[in-house]
Amino acid sequence: MTTPASAPVSVRQFTILVFLYTVGTTILVIPAGLAAVAKQDAWIASLLGLLFNLAAVFFYLRFSRSFPDMTLAQYYERVYGRWLGKLFTLSFVFFSFIGAATVLFYLGNFINTQVMPKTPIQAISILFILIVAMGLRLGLEAIAKAGEILFPWIVLLFFILIACLLPQVEVHKLLPMFEADVSSLLKGAVSVTGTSALPFIVFLMFYPAFVANRKKAGRGFVAGTIAGGLFIAAITFLSVAVLGADISERQMYPSFSLAKRINIGNFFARVEILIAAIWFITVYFKILFYLYGCVAGLAQLLGIGDYRALVLPMGMILVVYSQVVYPNVVYAAEFDRTVWIPYILTYGLVIPIATWAVGRLRHRMRGKPTATSGDVGE
Amino acid sequence: MKRGVLKLLLKAGKRIRRSSHPTSEPSVAPRAQETGLDRRFEQISTALGASSDLVLKEIRLGGAAGPRVGAAYLDGLSDTRQLFQSLHGNDRPLEEWLNASPEAVLEELRRTVLAVGDIKVIDGIENAVPAVLAGETALFADGCAQALTLGTSGGEKRGVEEPNTQSVIRGPREGFTELLRTNTALVRRKIRDARLRIDGRQIGRVTKTDVAVMYLKGFASEAVVAEVHDRLDRIDTDAILESGYIEEFIQDHAFSPFPTIYNTERPDTVAAGLLEGRVAIFVNGTPFVLLVPALFTQYFQAPEDYYQRADFSSLLRILRLTSFFVALLAPSLYIAVTTFHQELLPTPLLIGLAGQREGVPFPAFIEALMMEITFEILREAGVRMPKAIGQSVSIVGTLVIGQAAVEAGLVSPAMVIVVSITAISNFVVPAFNMAISLRILRFLFMGVAASFGLFGVVVGLIGLVLHLCSLKSFGVSYMAPYAPLIRADQKDSLLRLPVWALRTRPRSIPNSNPVRQAPKGGNPS
Repeated sequence: MTTPASAPVSVRQFTILVFLYTVGTTILVIPAGLAAVAKQDAWIASLLGLLFNLAAVFFYLRFSRSFPDMTLAQYYERVYGRWLGKLFTLSFVFFSFIGAATVLFYLGNFINTQVMPKTPIQAISILFILIVAMGLRLGLEAIAKAGEILFPWIVLLFFILIACLLPQVEVHKLLPMFEADVSSLLKGAVSVTGTSALPFIVFLMFYPAFVANRKKAGRGFVAGTIAGGLFIAAITFLSVAVLGADISERQMYPSFSLAKRINIGNFFARVEILIAAIWFITVYFKILFYLYGCVAGLAQLLGIGDYRALVLPMGMILVVYSQVVYPNVVYAAEFDRTVWIPYILTYGLVIPIATWAVGRLRHRMRGKPTATSGDVGE
Repeated sequence: MKRGVLKLLLKAGKRIRRSSHPTSEPSVAPRAQETGLDRRFEQISTALGASSDLVLKEIRLGGAAGPRVGAAYLDGLSDTRQLFQSLHGNDRPLEEWLNASPEAVLEELRRTVLAVGDIKVIDGIENAVPAVLAGETALFADGCAQALTLGTSGGEKRGVEEPNTQSVIRGPREGFTELLRTNTALVRRKIRDARLRIDGRQIGRVTKTDVAVMYLKGFASEAVVAEVHDRLDRIDTDAILESGYIEEFIQDHAFSPFPTIYNTERPDTVAAGLLEGRVAIFVNGTPFVLLVPALFTQYFQAPEDYYQRADFSSLLRILRLTSFFVALLAPSLYIAVTTFHQELLPTPLLIGLAGQREGVPFPAFIEALMMEITFEILREAGVRMPKAIGQSVSIVGTLVIGQAAVEAGLVSPAMVIVVSITAISNFVVPAFNMAISLRILRFLFMGVAASFGLFGVVVGLIGLVLHLCSLKSFGVSYMAPYAPLIRADQKDSLLRLPVWALRTRPRSIPNSNPVRQAPKGGNPS
């Protein structure tokens, strides 16, 4: 019989989780932002974003090799010492908590404005957090397996979406091609990476320690990122090619408007709510892992062996906080445009790079090979 | 040696005597010696409280003057005809019997006279009582310290009949009975291999129910067999009346609507399970045999899948899974769509539905809840009623109530269709205990659909998948081979490939003998 404690997540499961997390909220909001900066070249920006995503993932792979048996929070304490390390962990806990709250806000806002205007947003958040808490309490193994079961359905819905919209693609909406200048493309690409790849930092709370077969898992990390990036690129492409850059830009949720366009023989029409199941599921995993990072980091911070006791209280706080994290949608959009990118760059890139550098430096100064040596060649 | 035994017997006799009521004894000479036949009869009678079904029979060997032997058994539990035939029919001369010591008489009976298969020599009355209670016959010789117990268990029992729960169109018609021995024999007949092991034990302080663990050595994982034994060992209760008792004691998850132990009435299903490395648990007194570990996908496989053609079986399995979703979600989808997502429906249909619902005073949720509860009531009534009227009552009830409710404007006709298709889909799921879980969860989904529409349904489904993924059956992932995905096992999970392609045993179930057959070489194609 297997011992789940040793490696609860298989390579395949990990790849799927990476995919789901990449797609996450990105698919819902990013096409609008991209269309705003890159107009009809938005899909090029999203492909460029995929390259940036890969760069970020390669860094995380390199970084995570310094702590093969530890979580990120444990590594902070190892590198910076107990107190400074705890400070870094605390900031990480806040980062994941705020990440979870913003995603929950997006979900509630999406359902409240697009699907069920009369249902109170609090009810939606509470219901959603209930199953997030359920997933977290059941543990990584069950979460990973659930991802494995849900993944084919997402792919199926996605292909239904693509197949039903292909007839409506109008090439002239993509013209003139390659018009956007490099700076706006880069800006778009960075926003893609900021929402889809840099939040991977919370994955370092269980990767690589709880993932089986590290070498293959690294490949899975890359494969999941590529698949997720292509998924986003495909949706962005369709948004522009079906709705046009102008409408995509003005829509709050262009991919949802996209699904509204499906019409097969006047009977398979207005099925957007079925397609929306894609983002209900991907958003679920996004919140789940943000909250996982939060509670696992907090457990490490407080020296609690098992994070499960923290899930429900943190979930409750999260529901409340998600109501106030943004005062309104305009603020949210403004925050995403101006604050989010430097914010996520700090937590997702600057701090990890600094930690990596300090870790290597200390390792070299100590002058002895440790178990966490980062020089195992690929 | 002999004296020691005598002392022991004396003590035992005293103990019994002290707590006995000296009434309703067979008329015997008082104060016979401790090993005397009359004393034996008295002891047994006392131990069983002079039960009216206890038969104490005395026989003289070789004629009216021969040595006395006595048989004690419970009427109705034992089949003693053969025993008495062989006792009466022995043709040894009287002198031979008279010259022999009581011990020699008993030995002679055991070795040559008795035409009964299972004979054991026992000491003392305290060993005779449990044997008699198990349907065996205790045989005493006058003046002998030892006694014989004869395996005469028999009496009235149900024959091997066609199982009620898992009927097939093609396939064996025999089903298990209430008798453990018959049941194990039914499986042994299918698997003539020395590696088939049966470990017996008794569970239940009062009922002393025979329980047998059956597995194929070298096929089943040792760890699972050990785990089964370990969990059975931990059961300490006074009564096991059905395998359901055992199931509740040894299952992994007490609070889950899903069954994690499979039960079946069919020997061929058990044989197939054993060959896949599963472990079967037989319980005396019930035709339902438990099979562990159980997988989710197993509940959608009928035994017939392997007897019909592969393509047909595969399609049937897909149909069953579809029915599973229909039975689970149909009412909740109807509620969600009519309450929140009317745009999903084509306009003419929407107008039609709205027209139907015009006179209905309740929201769709209440309407669905009423109809579903009515149906559950009818169904339960149909099960409990005498067979002859049960079915007709449920059909008439459904028709009359369905029709009348529509005409009275209580529910819309569309709702009746939804409830009917749900009910019928529920019966497609081959395993009854899985169908029950659907009936429970359906109401839960109706609730979330009524409050949150399709979003609620998706959230409910995520929760359901999470729950299923957290289940284990004897250390095996319940959702295997889907999560974790095992490619090799896809040949026999949702699809069923031709038998020659099922070369390896399912990897989802731990086994120590992975290869089932040679590659397809010899098959004509």
